Amino acid sequence: MEKKPRVLIAKMGLDGHDRAAKVVTAILRDAGMEVIYLGSYQTADRIVRAAMEEDVDAIGLSCLCGAHVSYAQELKERMRQQGLGDVLLLVGGVIPQEDVSTLHEVGADGVFPAGASAESITSFIFERVKATVA
Amino acid sequence: MTDTMDKIEQAYREKAQRAQTWSGLPVEQFYGPSDVTGLNYDNNVADPGQYPFARGIHRDMYRGRFWTRREVCGWGRGSDTNKWLKFQLQQGISGVSVVFDNGGHLGLDADHPQGRHELGVTGVSISSLQDAEDLWGDIPLDKVSTSIIESSPAIAVRVAEYVTVAERRGMDIGCLRGNVQNDSLHFHFCGNGIATPVDMATKMGVDVIEYLTRNLPNFYVFSVNMYDLRENGISAAQEIAFGLGIAQTYIEGALARGLDVDSFGPRCSFYVAAHIDLFEEVAKFRAMRRMWARMLRDKYGAKDERTMKFKAGVHTAGSSLTFQQPLNNVVRVAYQALAAALGGVQSIHCCSYDEAISIPSEEALTLAIRTQQMLAYETGVANVADPMGGSYYVESLTDKLEEEATRILRHIETVGGMKKAIQSGWVEAEIQKAAVLHRKEVDDGQRIVVGVNAFQGDAAESAQPRTFRIPDEILQAQIAATRRLREERDNAALRRAIDHLRREVDKGEQHNLMPAVIEATRCYGTTGEIIGTIREAYGHTYDPLDLIQSPFRGQG
Repeated sequence: MEKKPRVLIAKMGLDGHDRAAKVVTAILRDAGMEVIYLGSYQTADRIVRAAMEEDVDAIGLSCLCGAHVSYAQELKERMRQQGLGDVLLLVGGVIPQEDVSTLHEVGADGVFPAGASAESITSFIFERVKATVA
Repeated sequence: MTDTMDKIEQAYREKAQRAQTWSGLPVEQFYGPSDVTGLNYDNNVADPGQYPFARGIHRDMYRGRFWTRREVCGWGRGSDTNKWLKFQLQQGISGVSVVFDNGGHLGLDADHPQGRHELGVTGVSISSLQDAEDLWGDIPLDKVSTSIIESSPAIAVRVAEYVTVAERRGMDIGCLRGNVQNDSLHFHFCGNGIATPVDMATKMGVDVIEYLTRNLPNFYVFSVNMYDLRENGISAAQEIAFGLGIAQTYIEGALARGLDVDSFGPRCSFYVAAHIDLFEEVAKFRAMRRMWARMLRDKYGAKDERTMKFKAGVHTAGSSLTFQQPLNNVVRVAYQALAAALGGVQSIHCCSYDEAISIPSEEALTLAIRTQQMLAYETGVANVADPMGGSYYVESLTDKLEEEATRILRHIETVGGMKKAIQSGWVEAEIQKAAVLHRKEVDDGQRIVVGVNAFQGDAAESAQPRTFRIPDEILQAQIAATRRLREERDNAALRRAIDHLRREVDKGEQHNLMPAVIEATRCYGTTGEIIGTIREAYGHTYDPLDLIQSPFRGQG
């Protein structure tokens, strides 16, 4: 039996605009994944602790306020420090094209700027989680 | 070659397939007299400027005065936004509109530990009177209508600063014109709930309403932000109903405070979306005007016609703009501004075409202003009030939207009002349902969004405009200046003002905190210090994120 991917969704910093994160949560659940919605105002520490407790396969970071590179970098570092280097890091939100490669450089596995389709997100997670488990 | 020929053949046969409004209301192939037999012009529609104002709140509408051209702005420090405002004024705006950064919404100061990366990015960073002096600086506040966009309790501090700056420049504050958003209830759906604990926030909202009513008779006391709710994905009818539901809470709070409805009623306003379905939006504005007029006269006993006139500031729908093929957004915004003007609104903010990637660049902002100017001067739309009045489709749609919105509003009233509807989770559930459905329809191709799920074109078409980035030095300077302020101000005087503020909170729900907030502001108390003190007095943590403690604990 195939294990359902477990994904944690969170926002860091001060921005409370969370509709996108909530809609993605619904999309992932509809696709058959287990989602832990942590919500806004999280720190890298809190996210990593929750990720460990919940034994997730992926962390989805939503950022709409321009600080995506800083937050992704901070989070990835914390993930590595705590031995979660294998957990996928997905970043979504308001991401200018020119920042996509930078995000990959700081350790994001998947980058989903505004307008990314539901399919692109779910298939990415299914493929990559299967690959990790295999 | 055959491929291209097939494409042309297909293109030739394309047709309108989604026979619904944006919000999902089914529409007929055409409308005729039989669709408007119950119209009753004199009672239900009436001339522009006549109750119930469906056709507009003034007889002469834009011949009397164009809608105000206001472009929301705010970034970096006070001085950066001040320069930007001057740039806008040069390009032809007719009103000022300033928004504050995420830290500002939460009531945090520039030097808050978690605020580092979002300082001055989505709004201007204002932590104290010192920053406000730089922001408002040499703007002729007594001549320019100013929108102060803040809905958390921090609005009290923003108003205190604005009034203090004006007074110190020798202005008569009774001449100040503008509005405050002051809508804490909607803030829950922009995820700012932690900054707006319901009882404290609604009470302070009434404090601001009362203060403005008594001291700034030309200032609007709130601007219910239906725009942000609509941006979450809800329908036009929900936008109307939730907005009016929220307004009821504030009206009732002001009445409970002992204010006469006609003393503040004329200066209630709404911040409304102008979305992409032109006819639905025009019908929406007309329906809203009619519903507000009836609500104020029949439910709240308004006698003054000015109270019954629904005043709407519009923000074109940012959520309809796309990351792909950004230049398409110029066109979308133009259609939406057109809908707003046809809908008879009082002010318009046009989004910039780079909306999906950052705050506006100078070029994008200028084009947004020009969009409004072309609309005002070239299209002829401004010559006639309610030019769509009498259209079988629009009158029918106006009635339909009013019917649907009324049904939702009655439900809200039945459960005990908007506060209860929010607290029960019902509003969140409705919003989430709508948002998920919308997303699904785009993903399934049931809703076509050009450039996103159709006509994707090539990479060149999606070439991105320059991203507006804020130099790090500016943000560092703001943090340093805030820290320096804490050391250099008269801390003894501030201490006394803070203690006084704390005692004022204890005087209860009917006691207005504004005088005490103004006093603490004058002593260069920061937002975090002032709001934090009030939060503590209400039994909440000093800091919404609970990372810092009040420096004022214990005896002064």
